[in-house]
Amino acid sequence: MIDDESSDSRTATGKLPSDRRLDGRRMGERTTSGVRAAIRDELATEPADAETNDQPVIQLDHVSLAFDEPVLEDVSFEARKGETLCIVGESGTGKSTALKLILRLLVPEKGSVCIGGKEITGLSFEEALEIRQQMGMVFQGAALFDSMSVFENVAYPLREHTTMNEDEIEQRVREKLQFVDLEPDKVMEQLPAELSGGMRKRVGIARGMANNAEIMLYDEPTSGLDPLTTGTITRLLLKLQRELGVTSVVVSHDIRSVFRMATRIAVLYEHHIVFFGTPEEMAGSDDEYIRTFLGGS
Amino acid sequence: MPAAAPAVPSRTPSHWERFVAASKSRVRNVQDYFALAGRGLGFIFVRPFYGQDWVQQMDEIGVKSLGIVLLTGFFTGMVLALQSSVQLQTFGATMYIGRLVSASMIRELGPVLAGLMVAGRVGSGIAAQLGSMRVTEQIDALNTLGTDPIKKLVTPRVLAALVMLPVLTIINDFIGILGGNLISSAMVGVPTSLYWRTVWDQIANDGFTLRVIPIDFVQGITKPFVFGGIISITACYFGLNTTGGTEGVGQSTTRTVVVSSILILIIDYFLTQILLSVLGP
Repeated sequence: MIDDESSDSRTATGKLPSDRRLDGRRMGERTTSGVRAAIRDELATEPADAETNDQPVIQLDHVSLAFDEPVLEDVSFEARKGETLCIVGESGTGKSTALKLILRLLVPEKGSVCIGGKEITGLSFEEALEIRQQMGMVFQGAALFDSMSVFENVAYPLREHTTMNEDEIEQRVREKLQFVDLEPDKVMEQLPAELSGGMRKRVGIARGMANNAEIMLYDEPTSGLDPLTTGTITRLLLKLQRELGVTSVVVSHDIRSVFRMATRIAVLYEHHIVFFGTPEEMAGSDDEYIRTFLGGS
Repeated sequence: MPAAAPAVPSRTPSHWERFVAASKSRVRNVQDYFALAGRGLGFIFVRPFYGQDWVQQMDEIGVKSLGIVLLTGFFTGMVLALQSSVQLQTFGATMYIGRLVSASMIRELGPVLAGLMVAGRVGSGIAAQLGSMRVTEQIDALNTLGTDPIKKLVTPRVLAALVMLPVLTIINDFIGILGGNLISSAMVGVPTSLYWRTVWDQIANDGFTLRVIPIDFVQGITKPFVFGGIISITACYFGLNTTGGTEGVGQSTTRTVVVSSILILIIDYFLTQILLSVLGP
């Protein structure tokens, strides 16, 4: 939720080429009733600059899934190339499950999931492993392998799925660590347990993108982080979208970060999609639940 | 908002329904256990081979368990010799002490004790490690990085246990017989040369398979091979199916040690029956 208290994040939001983000200080100065108008104003000044085309890279079509109880019901959304789709909603509404469906860690009971135009629900386990190599996933707790150094963690997908030699692997690892604003010489030999939460998240992003993945998936990338680090991670996600044209799906609670990076937003409520559209449309929505969710009513 | 589903009056499931549900769940667990065993063993022959992980696990399961196995083997051999000497003295047959110690160690105590020790030390370690990896999403991370967790984590551990348990058992047997030698020569007065001759008599007396392999050895090596499989697969099964955070990791560890120890003792009996009927007494 938008939080008037977290005004310190202004120091972490200084260098973006675009001002589409909502600056923490300015947010803090506004009353909650004015937030939606503010969002609309900011979004109107600069439209999303991602290179998108009409071909959906990720498409969920009328997907339903239940374990003992329903998890997702008749859920449909899509993300086009270069787009950043954010899935928001309260806890336990099936947001992370949607990511697992995209990764084909789960198979829907009804509906279809297509990646790059290819239906993945009927794939064998081995075929699914291949599909997953096109994607990078950043977990909520980073999920770095405890027993491996930072270097080995980032090098892992390269060792598994490429024929790169050691020099090429080291060069790639350095490049990815630099991209996520870490100093390779400082962190490469450290173990994940020696890193701070924000650094672990960044190493997780570096590992996710090591294979030059075209699709990046993030599960709560900013949860449990202080406002400064939240700003840094959000900026990093935007950098990935803008410089590398990566298609991203972000699951988040953090509505402020979502408005900074999303080209489209899907809102899940009680296992259904209750809103799917651009941030502008969301900011202008008269739907009572959306207004409540934005803290504007 | 979607239309609400028609209200179904909630009722407590009957005892029979609960029994059926619990039984189904148990059967599913057994099915999953064997599916994991099948895949874990099947991947031994499928590329990529994680040779480095295998060697690392051999060190973890084998080399690092050596101390505990040496200690238990040595003292078990000593106590066997001590107890046997008291009984054998009644019949004036203390010279057969070597036969008794070697038969007990090679056929039964060596494999079972090594199995139980490794179940406690290694089984719990594997369950805790894989359980922690499960609750911190590292298993999901392996999956998303295009690696089959069973191939990467289960197969090297199973393979290492299948190789190292027989090796540990052989060492355990030898050190146990050596412990018996120490007691029989120091406290019972049986000379070392006589002790070792009776040990060999016992081994040779039971006959040979393929003319050169003593039947005692076949029994003594088959059992730890099976126990190695039981320990590693049980530990991996409970580790990979951990739920409920750190508390779940603790439960998986306990279950692994309890279940694998019980399985070792039960399967030991049936395996002995089978081996005796196949190989003769």
